[in-house]
Amino acid sequence: MTDSDQHPYVEWIAREAQRPVVTDQAARERIMMAVRAEPMPRRRTRVWRRVFEPRAFRLSPIATTLLAAGLVGIGVITGKVVNNRGVYPSVGEPKAPAVVQQPPVSPDTVVKFVFVAPQASKVSVVGDFNGWNATTTPMVRTANDSVWTVTLPLTTGRHVYSFVVDGSSWNADPHAPLAPDDGFGRPNSVRIVGRGSAL
Amino acid sequence: MIRFAAANHPALRRIGRSLLAGVLIVLCARIAVAQDPDPLLKLDPNSRFVIELMIDSAKAEGIPARPLLSRALEGINRKADNKKIVDAVRKQLGLLRTTRSVLGGVAEDELIAAAAVLEAGAKPAQLAVFRVRHKDRNDLAAFTYWADLITRGVPSEDASSAITKLWQDGADDATFYSLWKSVQSDILQGLNPGAALQNRIRETPGRAPPSKTPPEGPQERESL
Repeated sequence: MTDSDQHPYVEWIAREAQRPVVTDQAARERIMMAVRAEPMPRRRTRVWRRVFEPRAFRLSPIATTLLAAGLVGIGVITGKVVNNRGVYPSVGEPKAPAVVQQPPVSPDTVVKFVFVAPQASKVSVVGDFNGWNATTTPMVRTANDSVWTVTLPLTTGRHVYSFVVDGSSWNADPHAPLAPDDGFGRPNSVRIVGRGSAL
Repeated sequence: MIRFAAANHPALRRIGRSLLAGVLIVLCARIAVAQDPDPLLKLDPNSRFVIELMIDSAKAEGIPARPLLSRALEGINRKADNKKIVDAVRKQLGLLRTTRSVLGGVAEDELIAAAAVLEAGAKPAQLAVFRVRHKDRNDLAAFTYWADLITRGVPSEDASSAITKLWQDGADDATFYSLWKSVQSDILQGLNPGAALQNRIRETPGRAPPSKTPPEGPQERESL
């Protein structure tokens, strides 16, 4: 197709398009200043592309499972480190100790608990030293069938405890001082460990 | 692409997968065993939140949180209902606050034992006498027997005046123990608790009261 074959209107458009644009020098300066004022687009580096470029992975089921287990493990360890501020996560640390803090005492005072329960099939001691868990510290029936005993290392100080017979019946120690009723039924017993106490 | 290299032989591949599965199971088991289960997890979320809040408040006030946690765990293991557990913990926190305001700065065990005296039924004013501190003296035994006597039915006024008198006379732990043992024995034999105490306190040897101006002098417990 030659120029002569074209429609006159098309030829006119072509001529107009080829005609050099004459602009005002001041306008050109204004445009260039505006362009210079624009921030330069940052070039994405190779590292950038490498990090953010989407890609496809192929993992076997066992690798996926191992990866998931590893992530769970990291989460658990992180959680433990973050929450390692005592037994519970706290909303605030103590501002000032209002009680005289006792020095940490190693549980090196051995204490023997004795309870007489001839009819019992199992007896355990529960208290503030074992989280009141009846399965933690089972007592042993001695040669004399009615006496149950257990020996525990306890820290120096005051301990509250009870004997649990057959997993359900809570009993105070008849040979120890009673703790006041705390609202849960039968009162507990108190033992003071160390300091040469007669308890 | 991440891929595990394995031998081409199908049998070896199976052995490898079995080994990996075994390692995975052991790892998961170790992670599960390593977890410290939250001891309050058996409570409903609201009760647990309230108790944790009280424990945090106690810590922030410098009050020992151990007896609060202990009481919650006791309630859980006694299978008490959640409301009762929350009430018991709240009551314990209140007693510890009152005790600290009455006695000031004392050892943690003494604070807890003194709170038990209030819980048994003594009045804060009766406890206030013990604010005066004698150096090297620990009131744990006095508080423990005091709470026991009231719990066994001795009128609070009688128990308080008897223990306070002995304490002011400088009685030691053995004296408190002896009194308690005798009264307990009488009560078990059927004597009225108040009468048992009155009888036995007369037999209890008095001690010389501590010097008015001991070397270190009686001191007010630090009030914080």
